[in-house]
Amino acid sequence: MIKLENIVKMYPGSGVVLDEINLHIKAGEFVSIVGQSGAGKTTLVKLLIAEEKPSGGIIHIGDWDITTIGSSVVPFLRRQLGVIFQDFKLLPKKTVFENVAFALEVAGTSPRKIKQIVPPVLHIVGLGDKHDRYPNELSGGEQQRVVIARSLVHRPKVIIADEPTGNLDSINTAEIIEILKKINEFGTTVVLVTHNREVVNHLRRRVVTLADGKIINDEKEGKYIL
Amino acid sequence: MTVFGRIIKFALQDIFRNLGLSAMTVFILVLMLLSVNTLWSLDVVTREAVALTKDQVNMSLYLKSSTLDKEVVELTTFLHTVSEVTAVQVVDRAAVVESFKQRHQLSPDVIQALTELGGNPFGPTVVVKAKEPQDYEKIIAVLNVPEYTKLIESKSFDQHEEILGRIQTITNRVESVGLGLTAVFAVIAFLIIFNMIRVAIVTQRTEISIKRLVGANNWFIRGPYLIAAVIFTLVSIGITAVIVYSTVSWLDKYVGVLFQNGFSLTNYYASHMLYLFSLEAAAVLVLTVASSSLAMRRQLKV
Repeated sequence: MIKLENIVKMYPGSGVVLDEINLHIKAGEFVSIVGQSGAGKTTLVKLLIAEEKPSGGIIHIGDWDITTIGSSVVPFLRRQLGVIFQDFKLLPKKTVFENVAFALEVAGTSPRKIKQIVPPVLHIVGLGDKHDRYPNELSGGEQQRVVIARSLVHRPKVIIADEPTGNLDSINTAEIIEILKKINEFGTTVVLVTHNREVVNHLRRRVVTLADGKIINDEKEGKYIL
Repeated sequence: MTVFGRIIKFALQDIFRNLGLSAMTVFILVLMLLSVNTLWSLDVVTREAVALTKDQVNMSLYLKSSTLDKEVVELTTFLHTVSEVTAVQVVDRAAVVESFKQRHQLSPDVIQALTELGGNPFGPTVVVKAKEPQDYEKIIAVLNVPEYTKLIESKSFDQHEEILGRIQTITNRVESVGLGLTAVFAVIAFLIIFNMIRVAIVTQRTEISIKRLVGANNWFIRGPYLIAAVIFTLVSIGITAVIVYSTVSWLDKYVGVLFQNGFSLTNYYASHMLYLFSLEAAAVLVLTVASSSLAMRRQLKV
């Protein structure tokens, strides 16, 4: 599903941020990528969503070689990926329904289809009864669930979650992780980037550990070792 | 079609969320267009005035009293063969003396002097009309042969040349000032639209980043700003058309007094409306789209 071959990323002035990364994530896997600040986790996410291009190496996502695609193709790639960030990235002047619908609007989905797709997705993340609320009327956990709903509406094959629980308390964290597990059970590949030890240890799934831009550990049922 | 509809919806949202700036942009565009239309109207009016003055210009050849009718016929026949001449009219001696008496009816001394002379001291007058004022010089040149100089007492047309010269000078100055004003408004409009789009983009950075994140293509992100530029153009052209049409309708009664030939600015605008406003719309569109594109290139790295 996701294949990184000899990935190198360098920034002028910062040196090598990712160094010879080789990683293969199969379809349907739930992989946690862990590491301390500055290990290269966020850079890896930026490469996976084609926000940046690697300095060397090849990245395959499904049938896409995203290291060679043009900027006009990037939007189509992003509709195949669900992306979740720590800072939610919700539109404050739009309701829960409108925020989720927004992802479909930009892809040209008809209003009739949007009305069919959005309510079940909101139901999956437990926000069926809060569709007309604005983000500032929701808790952090609920806001993150809106983001997950928005990332699901395109039925993505891969969900990339960059520190999705970073701003949440332990109860909301557990809820979000449960939703991600549920999504994974439906067959969606989940890449979870985190430094939350409890989450990683509780999951008992594959753990890839990054340190100084290199993969130092990759275990099938791993633990947070740092 | 759905995507295009949404792009228009987002463009309208942008315009109404920044209503003050949008109104200012339209205001400046309208000012610029009004200055262009004022310039255009002045040009039309002065061209009409020059044409009218040109039409009134003629040259009078005052023939000697000894001139025979046969010689007058020869002269007019010759003048008809000159390509620059458009009309030749002969005023006979009787009409000349009658005209003289009418002009001096309030001067009994002059009338008395005429009576004392006994007969008609005037020769006939030949009034010549040329295509262009400068053609009179050529006509005078061709008449400058002994055969005709012996018949001609004097000629007159010089003062018209001076009037035409003055009108042309005034027209040229008005055009220079108008062009300068239009250029200033064009620069201001460019800067305002550029800043408006820039401010809109900066205030919507989050929304733009989210659009990118969920897979919006470049057209979906840039489209609303370009559509906003088109809307500004159409609104400003519409407002300008209403103002210009109302103003020329009001001005027509004053312009009508100046031109006795039935010239009407309203009629002129009515018959040139499509051409004139299409041209202006195209120019404003180039201006607005260019400034929007520049602002987007600087602010949006999509």
